[in-house]
This record gives sequence, structure tokens and C-alpha cells, in this order.
Amino acid sequence: MASTMRPSPIDAFPTPTSSLQTETEKILLEHLPDPASTSTPTLNKNAHMQYLIRNLTQGFPTRYSSQDASQPWLMFWTLQAFSVLQVGLDPGTRKKAVDTIMAWQHPEGGFGGGPHQAAHLLPTYASVCALAIAGKPGEGGGWDQIDRKKMYKFFMSLKQPDGSFLVAHHSEVDVRGIYCLLVVATLLDILTPELVEGTAGFVASLQTYEGGFSSASQPYYAPPSASTPSSPPQLLQTPRPPLGEAHGGYTFCALASWVMLLPFLPSSTPTSTSTSAPSLNKNNLLRWLVQMQGTPVELGGFKGRTNKLVDGCYSWWVGGAFALLEAIGINPAAVPAAPSGKQDDDKNWADIDDSLMNRKALQEYILLAGQHPAGGLRDKPPKHADAYHTLSCLAGLSSAQHKVFPSTARRQQLLDAWKSTSDHDPHEEEPRKLAYLAALCYTEEEGTETIVGGTNNRVNATHPLFNLTVTHTEGMMAHFYGQEIPPRPRTAGKS
Amino acid sequence: MIPDPPPPLYSTRPEWADIVPLAQYEKVEPLAPILYSAEYKDATDYLRGVVKAGEKSERVLELTEHVIRLNPAHYSAWQYRYETVLEIQWPLEKEITLMDELADKFLKTYQVWHHRRLILTLSKKAQSELAFIEKILRQDQKNYHTWAHRQWVLAFFNEDGLWAGELDFVDTMMNKDVRNNSAWHHRFFVVFQSGVREGEEDRERVVRREIIYTKQSISLAPNNASAWNYLRGVLEFNKLPLSTVAPFVQPYTKPLPDQPLDLVDVENPPPGKGADLPCVAAIEFQADVYEEAGQSEDVDKAVELWKSLAAEFDTIRKKYWEYRIQQALLRV
Repeated sequence: MASTMRPSPIDAFPTPTSSLQTETEKILLEHLPDPASTSTPTLNKNAHMQYLIRNLTQGFPTRYSSQDASQPWLMFWTLQAFSVLQVGLDPGTRKKAVDTIMAWQHPEGGFGGGPHQAAHLLPTYASVCALAIAGKPGEGGGWDQIDRKKMYKFFMSLKQPDGSFLVAHHSEVDVRGIYCLLVVATLLDILTPELVEGTAGFVASLQTYEGGFSSASQPYYAPPSASTPSSPPQLLQTPRPPLGEAHGGYTFCALASWVMLLPFLPSSTPTSTSTSAPSLNKNNLLRWLVQMQGTPVELGGFKGRTNKLVDGCYSWWVGGAFALLEAIGINPAAVPAAPSGKQDDDKNWADIDDSLMNRKALQEYILLAGQHPAGGLRDKPPKHADAYHTLSCLAGLSSAQHKVFPSTARRQQLLDAWKSTSDHDPHEEEPRKLAYLAALCYTEEEGTETIVGGTNNRVNATHPLFNLTVTHTEGMMAHFYGQEIPPRPRTAGKS
Repeated sequence: MIPDPPPPLYSTRPEWADIVPLAQYEKVEPLAPILYSAEYKDATDYLRGVVKAGEKSERVLELTEHVIRLNPAHYSAWQYRYETVLEIQWPLEKEITLMDELADKFLKTYQVWHHRRLILTLSKKAQSELAFIEKILRQDQKNYHTWAHRQWVLAFFNEDGLWAGELDFVDTMMNKDVRNNSAWHHRFFVVFQSGVREGEEDRERVVRREIIYTKQSISLAPNNASAWNYLRGVLEFNKLPLSTVAPFVQPYTKPLPDQPLDLVDVENPPPGKGADLPCVAAIEFQADVYEEAGQSEDVDKAVELWKSLAAEFDTIRKKYWEYRIQQALLRV
């Protein structure tokens, strides 16, 4: 191990980037365990639980006023962190959570960042996902009090001619908003071809030459023709430049959006003018994702952009993205093992681990650098813990421990159990069904858990598209799609 | 420095007495509440009251500015402010002057940049924008919003005068930090992704210029992922094979020679004196050149290099290099 602990090379040419990098590596190295010690790193579940309970019951300190417009996020990060830590909520807390969340619903559809705030796609995701955890059907349960008709109208009111969406009225276009919209529409059964017309093309336009994705792109339109001045603007396929460089958060959102759009791909092609359906450069995407993992001297954490520092939150945004690769056809397990010089100490891992990221190293980063000694998780030492990093690190840890993948066997089970409902047109039924199957076929592969520090460090598996547990995802989707979830042959993916 | 005392609460100011403040939670005792300061609670209670009353006036600008200064991510305050600016036809120059200050103070929030964009879209006055952005980038050379805003200004207004100085600007940023990936991305945006600019019509010449620019940068600091990514991007965008730069890449895959070369090939600048070689990005590039060649003996050479990355030079990505080996062997 020691021989690979090389500091990042600076070629005798220091710049602000390399100086910051060098300082960071020094701090991270102090968090390596003593090589003489035989103890394994521990996830301080109890301390993190205390941290979460404190936030939930006593409230967030005054400095969180900066997140007053993100109250649903504070709730979601906290509740989902409990879920990842395998902790259920008592009925009283659930009721209080639901009442709080429902105070954020906007009278015209969608959820705002707090009561009386404007509706916005990001808090809408956080609210609906928090309801998936804490809510239930029926009066006062939250689920049936979501106004899905108005939600759909709100979504459509944000739609732009290039297939993108504003995050809120008078606000910016940002692929985070598209991800949030697609998750909510998928969970609540309001995903339609009309809603996502052109969206896949927009998402594809965000991929930069590096392989990752940016937050938005700039559309150009053909000048209106004199013969049909009132016809909708014609989007040009080029130029359509990404605004901003490849970035971990946007890349996760773009990739997850792409996966949710797959059932709609043929019809999302702009009709007459387009020459080809939108596509991603998968090799460049994979290369970019793996390049974001820090070296041993960075303890194997992930960074969010080229030549930036590792940060615990990218454990989820980048680390979590690997579980989505199989859905776009990148699947190392599909090919026979290659001859390679496996080292003995890694042998047991290598036999069962077909992930393309270094799962062991990511877990080590989170356990060694990501945990704050006083509870909660963080970007990196010596930073404080916060609600956002606590969930991002735990979700990243989950994606590094478990292999959750889209299972064809599970898909078939769901298809066999599918019940047609009379209140939908037959032509509406097909896309709904495909979206349902694509979302719920995720299953944990048995015997592929790889837990650094032993089974006491185990956390729950998470659904790689939604950052909810598979159980919570199934519960909410079964309700809104009017379906029953067929039992799993074993307990895979559930806990 | 002694901080300013908080301003008097709206609830104590007679000129606001006609507004009924609106508490955030009326019927609910919220779970996980934020413990607000008295100033913040008071200001947002009045904001909610104003929005409910539908008032759009100059004092609403004062109130929204106050809330924004306390919490620049309060997007509803920004949204209501924008509607108020439109409604009362507030002078856009005044709004931009305020935004100059707020962008400087709160450069990490989405809203300061988006509001600026809305105002510029109305005022159509972009001439001083690039200079302003350059000033902001001095504080934070990789600020995502600031770079994206610059790209928007160029793409949206699309005026020759705005584009004219961009390559010089990229050079300025690159001279400060050749590892600034935002600057590299900006260069790609300017040269390749937003149409062909005046003086750039000869694309072959432009591509040659970009390749030599990147080679020189790599020669200065070889272990710079940004530069290698740019080199790959230029070749791929222009449908050129990776082997185009194979003679350049090769010396970077080996240890630094003790003696500097007698002859310097200006097309292929060698590694500088302090270079830490072999360079991982160069080995990866060289392997891709071999794979691209496609014959079985080429792929064998690529496999050897990938094995060296997996076992020695880039062990963290061992799984990925093994995957590359699998994929390449499947294709042979």
C-alpha cells in the first residue's frame, strides 16, 4: 500500500490547483489508520443517529437559515439518512413529518422550499421522496393529498421549446430540475410522452468533450419562416453548446434522467427535421466517471470535476452513478474474466466484485475521512458535518457496499403481475407500464455485498435512480400505479 | 470590525403597519424546524404578507433585497423581486448596479446569476459584462456559475465584439493556472462549440493551432488531466485519429531521460525538466492509440500498457483497466 501513496505529481510547476491539492493530500493522509494497527474502520452509526435525531427534534441551528428555501431537502436528507442506517420512524414522527411536508405544497401544484414559497422542481422532488418514506395512502397520509393534476400542469408550464424545463417560474434551466421532475413523474404515475417530448435530446446536449455533463445548454433556433410565422420555433441541432464544464452532480442527474427517459426514446425524437435519435457517448462517460475517483493518496474519494478536490458528496453523485451504467449497456459482468495480475490481498474482493469503480477505496474514504467525530458526515476533514453531506456520504457508502442492478428476471415478474386499469386509454398504458417496469426492476444481487470493516458497517441498499430504499420506492409506485408488487424469491434488495 | 446592528424589525416600523405579517406555519408544529434569527423571521413574515397582499412597489424592492441579503438562495424572494421590477418599471441600470454588488458577495448562489441574466435579457446591455465576470473570477477562478454565465452572455448576445477577446482571455486565465479545467472547457466552448468566429474560418489551421497549444501546455506540466482531456476532445470533435499525436505522446510514457534531447521538434515539444514521468495520462493515451490501430499485435501492446496501469501506475482504477482489456480482447 505504501508504495502507491504517491503524492499527486506537480511536474515542478506549482499552480493554485496543485498547491491546494498538495495541502489536501497532507490532511487526508493524517486520517489513514496506523499501519501497525489491526483494527478495521468503523461506521459510527450511533453518533450519526444522534446527530440526525438532534436535527429532527431540536431543529437546525440558525446558520441553516441559508437553507430556508430548501426545507424539503433538510427533511429528505434526514429521513433518508435514517432509512440508509436501517432505522424506521415511529408513527408520531411520521405523522408530524407528513403534516410538515404538506404545508409546502403550492396551491397551484408542486411543492415550494417552505410554506408560502413558490413551487420549484427541486423541493418538489425532496417533498415527494420524503413522503415516500414517511407517508402512506388515505386521509392525512400525504400520498393522496398530493395534487397530481396540478403537479402535471405545473410541470408543463415550465417546459421550454428545447425540451428542457425551468426549475421554477422566472428561474433557470438546470438538469437537476429535469432529474427531479422525472423522478416525481415516475413515482406518481404522471410521466407522459407529451411531458418528455424533446427532453432526451436536451439531456444528450449536455455531455461535454470530457464525457461528463454540464448543467444546461444554449439552444439556437432557425429564424421564423415567412410562410408560417406562428409555427413553433425550430430548434437547431447545432450549435447547442453546453454551458459549464462536466460536473459530478449534473452528470448523475443527466444519466439518471437518460435512464428514466429510455422507455420514451423513440417518440422523443423531434419529428420531421431530425436525422437521428439523440445518443450518449458511453465510453467517454465511463472514462470520465472512473477518472473522478481520487488516487490512494486521496483515500479513493470522488471529485466532482477534473482537477478539483475530492468531496464526500460525490460518493453519491459519481459513485452512485456506476449502478446506472448497466441500464445503458455498460456491463463488465457480461464478459468473461480477463487475465490480469490480481494481487493476493485483493483476491477475495476481485472474485465477486465486477464494479467499474473501486468500491473498497470509496468505502475507506467515507469511513476514514467522511465521518465527523461528533456525528454526521462531511465533505472532508477538517470540515463540519451537515445534513446534505450526511446523506450523500451514506448513500455513496450504500452504493459501494451493494450491487443493485436492473434485473430481467424481476422485470418479467413485474410484467406478469401487471394489471391493466380501466381508467387509462390503451395507448397511454404502454408507456406507463414501461416506466413502471424500468423503475422497479432494480434488484440487489445476492452475495455481492462487499463491506469494508465488517458487517456491523452494513447500511441499506438504495435504489440507484431515486436515492430511496427499494422498499419505499415499491410502496409508493404500487399505490399510484394501482399495482401489487409480486414477492421476491428471496429478500434481495429489501431490508 | 464591529458589525452593523440589525435594522429595526418591520413589526416596529409604522410605514409597514398596513401589512399583515404572515407566519410560516399556521396550523402545524413543524418537524425539524430551522431556528431563525429574529431579524430573518420578521423579514420573511413580512415578505409572505406582501406576497399574499399582491403588493408590488418600491418598498417591496427594499424588503426583497433585505431578505436576499440574509439568504441569497431564497428563490421566491428573487422571483417576486423580478415581478416587481417589471411591474413598477424599475430602472434596469439600478438593478444591475445592485446585482454587481450581490454577485460579488454571493457568487456561489444560482439566483444571483439568474436574476442578472433576466435583467440583461431585458436591458440588452452586455458590453461591460465580460469585464465584470473577469473581475469576479479573480476571487474564485473555478466558479461554475460565473463561467456558465460568461458562456451564456457570449452565446445569447452572440456579438462579434464580445467574442473577439475570448482566446486572449482564456490565455490570461490559463497563465494564472494551467490546471484550471473551467478555462479549458471555456476554450473548447469558444473554439469548437458555438459556431465559427471571424478569423477562424480556416478550420484546419484552427485545429492545428489547438493541438500545438495543448502539446505546449502538456510539455510545461505533463500530469494535467485537463490538458489531456482537451487534446482528446479536439481530436474526437474533428474526427481525427488519436494516432495524429502519437509521436508527441510517446516520450511522456517513459521515465525522463537524463540528457535533454539535442534536437527539439517544435511540433512535438518534449517533457520539461521537472516533469514527473512516466505520466499516467500518456500511458492511457498510448494504449488507446494501439487499440485504435486494431491489429491483434497492436491490441497486445495496449493490453500490456493497461496491465501496467492496473498493477503499478494507476491502481485505483484497476477494475476499469481490466474492463478495457476485456473489451479490447472481445473485439479482436
